[in-house]
Amino acid sequence: MDKPEIKILVTQDPLKPHGAPPEGCGAVVEFSGIVRGEEEGRPISALEYQAYEPMAVRELERLIRELLAQIPCASVRVSHRIGVIPVGESAIILQVASPHRGAAFSFATAFMDRLKQDVPIWKIKPIP
Amino acid sequence: MKVKFFAHLRDLTQCGETEIAAQGTLTPDALWSALEQRFPGIIRHKTHTRLARNFTYADAGAIFHEGDEIALIPPVSGG
Repeated sequence: MDKPEIKILVTQDPLKPHGAPPEGCGAVVEFSGIVRGEEEGRPISALEYQAYEPMAVRELERLIRELLAQIPCASVRVSHRIGVIPVGESAIILQVASPHRGAAFSFATAFMDRLKQDVPIWKIKPIP
Repeated sequence: MKVKFFAHLRDLTQCGETEIAAQGTLTPDALWSALEQRFPGIIRHKTHTRLARNFTYADAGAIFHEGDEIALIPPVSGG
């Protein structure tokens, strides 16, 4: 497989879809994490996220490279939004592309698990 | 050295960052002691907080130098 493409974005802006995957990929797994309308049983209108941005970008890249060494894929694109995110909008959009579906699914699952352990981004405040 | 705070630790300290004067170097324990003097009560978060040095997680044997950017990283919750 050619050198994998990696794209990382941490932004205050609404997230956009990642677009067409690289040519030759038979599998594209896309995951969008969306802000739900309740937090700990109470209705909310938005969630506020905070990041240690320079380290979050570095940790995302480190994590992606570490996982690619175990689960080769053709491309990994991830965008994470921070600041106030209204209910129904995406906090994260991940796209993983690979020649076959097994790797793309495995990568996406492992990535989301590890993101929630290591990447310095926090849900800091539900907004009623 | 600059020390940055996030999430509930930012609420506790009432600031995003502070400067700690290090005469040479500091160990993680010495850093926590210095922070406790400035922000009483912060040390109770020590067991749940990772330290980062210059944007990389630091291990227990890390040594912090003047000019480093240190961050206190409470349990993360992105995604």
